[in-house]
Amino acid sequence: MRITGQKLWVAGIAVFAAGIGAAMAGAGVASAQAQPQLRSVYVAGALPVTDPTSASWAQAAPVNVALTPQIVTVPMLLKGTIPSLEVRSLNNGDWIAFRLEWEDSSLDGTAITQDKFRDAAAIQLPVDPSIPGVCMGVRGQPVNLWHWKADWQTDIDAGFQDLTNAYPNFWKDYYPFAVGKPPFVVPQDFADADARRYLVGWAVGNPLSQPARVTPIEELVAHGFGTAASQSSQSVLGRGQWQNGRWSVVFARPMTTSGPDEAQFTPGGKGFVAVAAWNGSNQEVGGRKQISADLALTVAAPPAPAQQVSQAPIPAPAEPSFVKRYWWAGAVVLAALLVAGAAVLGDLYGRLSAAERKVTE
Amino acid sequence: MPKVFNWQLNREMDYPYPAAIPKKQFAAVFDLNKCIACQTCTFACKNSWTVGRGQEFMFWNNVETKPYGGYPIAWDAKLLEMLGPQGWDAGTYTGKTIFEAAPAGRAALGFLPEELDWIHPNIGEDETSGIVPGGMHMTIPHDVWNFYLPRICNHCSFPACLAACPRKAIYKRKEDGVVLIDQERCRGYRECNRACPYKKAMYNGITRLSEKCIACFPMIEQGRQTQCIVNCIGKIRIAGWIRQPKDIDEEAPVDFMVHVRKVALPLYPQFGLMMNVYYMPPIHVPVPYLQQMFGPGVEHALEVYRNVKDDEQLLGLFLLMGSTDRWVDKFRVKDGKAFGYDAKGSEIVRVPIKEPNFVRPFHDVARNTFRHNIT
Repeated sequence: MRITGQKLWVAGIAVFAAGIGAAMAGAGVASAQAQPQLRSVYVAGALPVTDPTSASWAQAAPVNVALTPQIVTVPMLLKGTIPSLEVRSLNNGDWIAFRLEWEDSSLDGTAITQDKFRDAAAIQLPVDPSIPGVCMGVRGQPVNLWHWKADWQTDIDAGFQDLTNAYPNFWKDYYPFAVGKPPFVVPQDFADADARRYLVGWAVGNPLSQPARVTPIEELVAHGFGTAASQSSQSVLGRGQWQNGRWSVVFARPMTTSGPDEAQFTPGGKGFVAVAAWNGSNQEVGGRKQISADLALTVAAPPAPAQQVSQAPIPAPAEPSFVKRYWWAGAVVLAALLVAGAAVLGDLYGRLSAAERKVTE
Repeated sequence: MPKVFNWQLNREMDYPYPAAIPKKQFAAVFDLNKCIACQTCTFACKNSWTVGRGQEFMFWNNVETKPYGGYPIAWDAKLLEMLGPQGWDAGTYTGKTIFEAAPAGRAALGFLPEELDWIHPNIGEDETSGIVPGGMHMTIPHDVWNFYLPRICNHCSFPACLAACPRKAIYKRKEDGVVLIDQERCRGYRECNRACPYKKAMYNGITRLSEKCIACFPMIEQGRQTQCIVNCIGKIRIAGWIRQPKDIDEEAPVDFMVHVRKVALPLYPQFGLMMNVYYMPPIHVPVPYLQQMFGPGVEHALEVYRNVKDDEQLLGLFLLMGSTDRWVDKFRVKDGKAFGYDAKGSEIVRVPIKEPNFVRPFHDVARNTFRHNIT
């Protein structure tokens, strides 16, 4: 009975999500397609994992994705502020990277006062790539979330955003167990465990409260609404940059990881990806966001070696070349050079050692 | 949406979760006739819990001057305005609670205070309801008035903060009904700050999470009353367990004041949270104002309060307020004394209802001196 009920529930949500997808497709947004596709283009060499402005991104065709306000669960966003964003993806066989770009005239890079919220963006990837990732996942079918936060980005780019960033002329003369002097600095003046106890979120290990940030992107797993939990291992790198009223954000991760609830990518593989964006000025946070329908993701494989040969055939030499005929002469010269080099190096080492002895004496 | 019974409204109401009344419920009674806004409670709380980085503006306990004070500014006036005029039919609320009036896509009606709303924690201090014209101070009663309203988290039976948290990071403890924000689960969305009508969930910009009054639960666990209560120099407060009307224990201090004598009333019961901090309304304030704030029980409560001199039980209980740091489970009044007992039934405090009056002779023969004060 229990299993049947759960299955029905899952099926219900899937149907519901399909409905939303259909509604989004039918919304008439210029570039929305019934079945939006995203191809992760293969490139050889290093990926621009923390550079949204890299020229490499030109190799990936941008896909314009329609966003709709989240109206499935409370709290909802009734009126959206980001109608669409642009997605690209690159991979090099080892790493996969996504780049999101959208228009946002206001830069909301901090969340350190009562009524300020950060800009943010996220990618949702179902852990099982054969099933679309429905609305934050469901029990038994988790989704991965890569959540980029503008305030984490500011913490990394400009240092941890502390009280003095919000109130430059404010200071308090005493915090229990803190060292240093007013106005004090987080984290260094609060390094002592007793001082940290008064910053409870930090002390209990909440990832939102950690002043030392490695990456602006948090990796989470969710099994349904309200269940998103930070992953124990964090391996998503990236960077967001706001320029001329537009955010561009890179998310990148090794294609395969060892974590239990983590999406895996294979060259030539398929999967699904959905995106979301938050506008801090509109107090968008948590469920108050705009989301996309699932895009069908194809991870392009590196071109096959045989194709490389056919593309750039090496002509067979008609007769033995100069190099082939006199290779032994080259070898002799190389050996002589090596011997001479060793002698020079030995002499240099001797002199340096002597100099060092002199210095120590 | 599930229906829950809210005895303060004398009716069922909508709430996102089914009722889960804890085994015991923390409650407190504050006597507004005695509060002088000395802020000792505020500082007892501040020094205990909110001395940290990011908590500089936070007062989990605050005392504001009514009618114009408010921390954050106009927290109640703003919500009352959003809710609009609502009504009572005798003891039954006919209006909408903040859950029933929730706008589309929200768990409750509410607003997020702005940053500057928090910067004057004692705005309106000592301001009166109107200008005192020349000569008025010579006559009693005065037409202008003010009073002090000390506030902590109400540890509501149907908390709006808990209802609004999409993370289920807020929970109500089974053992004492204390409402807490799990600092590991919270993600700083501030839905609780928005939904709590009393604005007692606050955002810490350094940890980037919300925090709130914890009812000094480590003290409650040790059979002690909270810091704001035991440090009150005016002895206006007492903590205790409150029961549902059908399970009243007449010997329990809070039950006695709230359910038996009905002298202590909830703050803005119309919001629908079934809050657990109760107030004895100030007797000098116009009834309509008090009714808006404490509901339809005001006139009865004022009458009981005015006649307390003839009510030995209640008077005895008043005298137990602030007379012990320990948690008074039960009280009895007999032979001119009020007794407080702990959970095991052991006596923890004994207070005479009338202080014994000693008269010493004007001329002390032994010391051959004269006394200026003989009582």
